Amino acid sequence: MVEKADVAVIGAGPAGLAAAIAAREQGAERVMILERAERLGGLLPQCIHNGFGLLYFGEDLTGPEYERVFIQRARKAGVESRLESMVLDISPDLELTLSSSRYGYAKVKAGAVVLAMGCREKARGALGIPGGRPAGIMTAGTCQRYVNVEGFIPGRRFVILGSGDIGIIMARRLTLEGAEVEAVVEIMPWPGGLIRNEVQCLHDFGIPLLLEHTVTFIHGETRIQGVTVARVDGERRPLPGTERFIPCDCLLLSAGLIPENELSVRAGVELDPVTGGPLVDENRQTVVPGIFAGGNVVQVHDLVDWVSWEAEAAGRNAARFADRGGIPFRDQVRVRAGENVKYVVPQFISGKEEVTLHLRVTRPGLKATLLLGGKAFKRYRSVRPSEMIIEKVDVGRLSQAVREGELRVDCRMGEVA
Amino acid sequence: MAVETVICIGCPLGCRVSVSLDRGKRVTGMRGARCRQGERYILKELKEPVRTLTTTLRTTDEDFPLLPVRTSRPVLKTLLEDIVRGTADVVVSPPVRCGQVVVPDVCGSGADLVATTDWTRRASKNGR
Repeated sequence: MVEKADVAVIGAGPAGLAAAIAAREQGAERVMILERAERLGGLLPQCIHNGFGLLYFGEDLTGPEYERVFIQRARKAGVESRLESMVLDISPDLELTLSSSRYGYAKVKAGAVVLAMGCREKARGALGIPGGRPAGIMTAGTCQRYVNVEGFIPGRRFVILGSGDIGIIMARRLTLEGAEVEAVVEIMPWPGGLIRNEVQCLHDFGIPLLLEHTVTFIHGETRIQGVTVARVDGERRPLPGTERFIPCDCLLLSAGLIPENELSVRAGVELDPVTGGPLVDENRQTVVPGIFAGGNVVQVHDLVDWVSWEAEAAGRNAARFADRGGIPFRDQVRVRAGENVKYVVPQFISGKEEVTLHLRVTRPGLKATLLLGGKAFKRYRSVRPSEMIIEKVDVGRLSQAVREGELRVDCRMGEVA
Repeated sequence: MAVETVICIGCPLGCRVSVSLDRGKRVTGMRGARCRQGERYILKELKEPVRTLTTTLRTTDEDFPLLPVRTSRPVLKTLLEDIVRGTADVVVSPPVRCGQVVVPDVCGSGADLVATTDWTRRASKNGR
C-alpha cells in the first residue's frame, strides 16, 4: 500500500520537528515525520547541558527541555510520525521507500520532502590515526550517550582528540563525574568549539587544551593504554622530537561533524563539496524539485536555535510546493565564498527578496569587514571559524548581484588574530 | 591599575571584556561587553563566579537509568563538584514532571535540583 503525505520529513531531531510544525502551520494537510529511531527528538535527550534556546526562546534550556517543547508543539499541530522507519530511497516523483520494524516495507508518496537527517561525527577511520585497534576509542557523542542516557562511564582517564563542542562539554561532564581528562588535543591553531564552552568546560576545570597538536599513535592491544601526542607544523604535519606519551584508557574523538547525505545523493541532490550538505536556494529547495533541506544536513550549525529556524523555512516552503504543485528553484544569483570565507549558505538566491546568509570564515581575525559584491557590509571586532556569521541582507543590497548573476562574499581581516 | 580580560559566557557571542581594576581590585572601567546583562555577568564573575549545573540522578528503572536535572539557578562555581558527589546516592522513582523539584536546596547551595524531562513509566529510553 502506498500512503500519501503532503509533506514528508525525514528525521525527527530538532530540524525535522521544526520543519514538520512549520509545514502544518503553512497549511499542509498531512505532514509525516519518518524517523529511524524509536522516539522523536534525535540527539537532544543526551545533550543534558544548557545553552539551548537562548536565541529562539530567549530562555536558557537544556537539550531535553528544548526537545520537549518541540515535541509538544508537533503533537498540537497534528504532525504524524512513523518511528523505527528508515527511508531507503526517494524516487524522482517523490515516492519514498521505507523499511520499518513496525510497518514492514512501505511506500509514502509525498507532495514535497524535507531532508532533516542532521549530521554524524567523524569516526576514527576518517582521521587515519596509526596504531592498534584496541577497545576504548569512541566519538564524543557516543560517550555522551553512555554517560548521560545509558548510565555508565566508559573509562577513568580520557584524552579527547579535537576541540569541538561535544568533546569539550564531555570533558566537563566526565571531570564532574570523577574521571580524569588528561588533555584536549586540537590540530588547528584555534579551538573548534564556541568560546563560551571553552571557558566553562575547560578553563573552569583547568583542563589543558593543546593547540597545534595531534595524536600520532594509539597504544594498546586489547584496551587502549595511551596515546602519543605531537606538535604539528603549519601544514599540520607532526614535528619530530615533540612526541610525548599520555596514558589513558579512553580516547574520545570530537574532530568534526559531517552532514548525513547518502540518501540525498541517491535521490539526485547535488552537494556543496565544502559544507557536505545539499546546494540550496533561499527557500531551502535543493536542485531536485520538491526536495527541501534544513538544519545540520545542510550545514553544521553551532546552535540548535539556527537548526530550528533553517528547518522551519524548509518546512514552510515544502508546504507551499505541495500546495501549488511546485515552486521554482531560485538560481538567478550564485553566491560565492571569496577571500577568507569557507562557505556561504544558501548557494543560490533570487536577489528579489531579503535573504539571510550563513557563512564561516577560514581563519580567526580581528577588525574584520564583511564585503558583499566588493562593498563593505558590516564590521566585526573579531571573527572565528567556530562561530557562524549570520546576516540578513535586504533587497537594496542585492541589485548589483542580480545584474551580475553573482554575489561574492569576502571577509577582509584588519589584523591577524 | 590592572587590566584583566574576562570572557562573557552569557550568550554565544562570547564577548571578550577588558576590565580595569584599581589597587583594591575594584572595577573602574569595562570595555567590550555588547549588552547590559553581559556587564552584570562580568561584575559577578569577578566577585563570585556562578554556573548552572546540569547532571543526572539515578532512577529505579533500568530502562530509564538516569534522570537529567539542572540547578534551578546558577550556583557558586566552587560547589559544582560537591553537588555532583553529594547527590551520587540519590535514587529517583517515577513519575517525574519536567520542572519538578527533585532535590530541594541541594548541598546548601540555595538552589534546587529540577528535572529537565518528563518521566513516566512509558517514556523509557527505548520508548517501548
